[in-house]
Amino acid sequence: MTAPTVPIPVRLTNVVKRYGRRTVLDGVSLEVTPGITGLVGPNGAGKSTLVRAILGLVQLAGGEARVFGHDPYRHPRRVREAVGVVPEDECSVPGLSGVEMVRYAARLSGLPATEALRRAHEVLDWCDAGQERYRPVETLSVGTRQKVSFAAAIVHDPAMVILDEPTNGLDPIERRAMLGRLTTLARKHGKTIFVSTHVLPDVQAICDRVIVLARGRVRLAGSIADLTRPARPEHHLTGTGPLDRLAEALTSDGLQARVTASETGPLIELASPRPDQLSAIWSAAQQNGVAIRSFAPASRPLEQVFVETLRQAEQPNAAAPGDGLREPAGGIR
Amino acid sequence: MPLHDVGYRAWNSRRCGPSATVWVIAVTGIRLAWESRWLRRLVFFAWSPAFLFAASFFAFEQAVDEGRLTALGEGAQVGRNLDGVGMLGTVLADALGGDPDEVDVESTRRLVWTRLLLAFMRSPQAILLAAVVGLVAPTLISRDLRAKAWLVYFTRPVGRTEYVLGKSVILLLLVLVITMLPAVALWLMGVLVSPSVTVALETWDLPVRVIVASLVLAVPTVLLALAYSSLTAETRIASFGWFATWVACWIAHAALTTADVVASVREQQAAAMEQDEPRLPAYRRANASPDPFRSQFRWLARAAGIDARLDRWAWISPYHALGAVQAAIFGIDRRPAAWMPATATLLLMTFGSLAILAWRVTAPAKA
Repeated sequence: MTAPTVPIPVRLTNVVKRYGRRTVLDGVSLEVTPGITGLVGPNGAGKSTLVRAILGLVQLAGGEARVFGHDPYRHPRRVREAVGVVPEDECSVPGLSGVEMVRYAARLSGLPATEALRRAHEVLDWCDAGQERYRPVETLSVGTRQKVSFAAAIVHDPAMVILDEPTNGLDPIERRAMLGRLTTLARKHGKTIFVSTHVLPDVQAICDRVIVLARGRVRLAGSIADLTRPARPEHHLTGTGPLDRLAEALTSDGLQARVTASETGPLIELASPRPDQLSAIWSAAQQNGVAIRSFAPASRPLEQVFVETLRQAEQPNAAAPGDGLREPAGGIR
Repeated sequence: MPLHDVGYRAWNSRRCGPSATVWVIAVTGIRLAWESRWLRRLVFFAWSPAFLFAASFFAFEQAVDEGRLTALGEGAQVGRNLDGVGMLGTVLADALGGDPDEVDVESTRRLVWTRLLLAFMRSPQAILLAAVVGLVAPTLISRDLRAKAWLVYFTRPVGRTEYVLGKSVILLLLVLVITMLPAVALWLMGVLVSPSVTVALETWDLPVRVIVASLVLAVPTVLLALAYSSLTAETRIASFGWFATWVACWIAHAALTTADVVASVREQQAAAMEQDEPRLPAYRRANASPDPFRSQFRWLARAAGIDARLDRWAWISPYHALGAVQAAIFGIDRRPAAWMPATATLLLMTFGSLAILAWRVTAPAKA
């Protein structure tokens, strides 16, 4: 007996969307799978339109979109039952309190009245909304409004949550709490989280995969680990003491090592050593009076990856989607 | 952490259908609208004309009960105020056709009740409807556009149809509360105070006509108001558009009707000159009608359909078009020339408004 096939949450194939003569999405193909996927891109990259295409709010000029196996434009109801959205724009029904807003969202999503109120309080408790929930939404602080908006998006227990700039306007503690909730939803409850954001540290902190969208095209897609790995496999060694002498000693031992400057100070770049060479590294450090502070596989900051990708996208002959700017085997699963 | 925090839990029960969504939008909209003190005052005020018309029903049935309908008819013919507010005399004088001696109670009652109900729905209620709808409707969609609340709806399983239906039901309920409900209550009161036990059977069709006339009144006006609201994010502009439509069309109707009257007077003058008849000036002849209802409560006479002249410009003004169609529904003026152009206006209003709503409601999402 074979297990039932679970449809991929989002699959876009050569999606094209035009507003008049302007092409906003230009042959976008991507898949969003369970876990946390980040969508990053500069302003005007087409992120909001992509989210609208997923929700079936816009009609595509070409290509195919499938959300949990359904065409979102033809069957928006089925799609939106399975999806919760936290829009970037502050949106609320004026006059409703926080808890009424979440209850209203639950009712609009098809929950019965009593159940909607119970769930509203439950998710607001989980979001730590406190007594603020009884105040009109328009009088709430930005952070509490964001909590209410998040609670309204998850109150009907959607299989997928789409968030547009979820940490906008949050203080560091609230930001951490919000990221923690997203991680819990993904890891503990098996939800698919799709986060559109400009905050790259947030993406690096919680996302399993990232998609870089620029000028309406997918420029980069893959797991965070893959994308931040340098082109050549190497390790970085940091420490206190004469690093240049240590580098010379390592080179004389047959390792490729050189001292380079980084944002945090000088470090030694080492071509990835074999396991049997590790003891030689420790011995050389001891002999040259270097106290090793860290020794880890090198990785590129996501910001650097992002900037490089955008720079390439800006070039006149930028590669078309699918030309493999950097797309690991298996797409962006 | 709150004591009752149970964390995030799954929910897999059965969901309600789209009809529940319409009801949820409507109930929430009514609750929010009802918070307006002005709306509460206006709705309570909108019931006050019903008390005046109730006096007419009561005075008529009292006269029937005491067997003095003939005397009442004579009083009506000479323009006496029969119910303290003058409406019954106006209607009764017309219903008796100038012959108070041969009064058939059943047919007179039917005619009087019909005309009173039509007058009630036409004159005070249709005007109050414009005020109530003008207070509530402009905020319904325009405020959603301004507060970006459309995202609350269209990121959830809510379609354009459910959204528009939900918003329409808010207005429909308010409109029916100030038109249909008091009119049906008036009929019920008439039945209760009538000495005849069969009066409910004799006039059973009147509440049905009231319901149909109320829906004819409500549907095009509600949709037009929502269409205005959907065209702008500024509530005041939508309000202005709504009231400007009623007032401007009313003025246009009045101007065209007056032009017709002036033209007809000139024709009569010319004819009189040709015949060389030494008569009063035409405008004085027109005012010298022996019917007292023409000089008293002219507005009511027109509203009750007593003024039998064809209003050929009714189609130009929503208020007058509604009146023409309602008069046909109540069986008072069934001339096709009276109700058909007016019906065309109402249909144009309805379908035009629906087209605007279909275009505008999800427009922000597509921008």
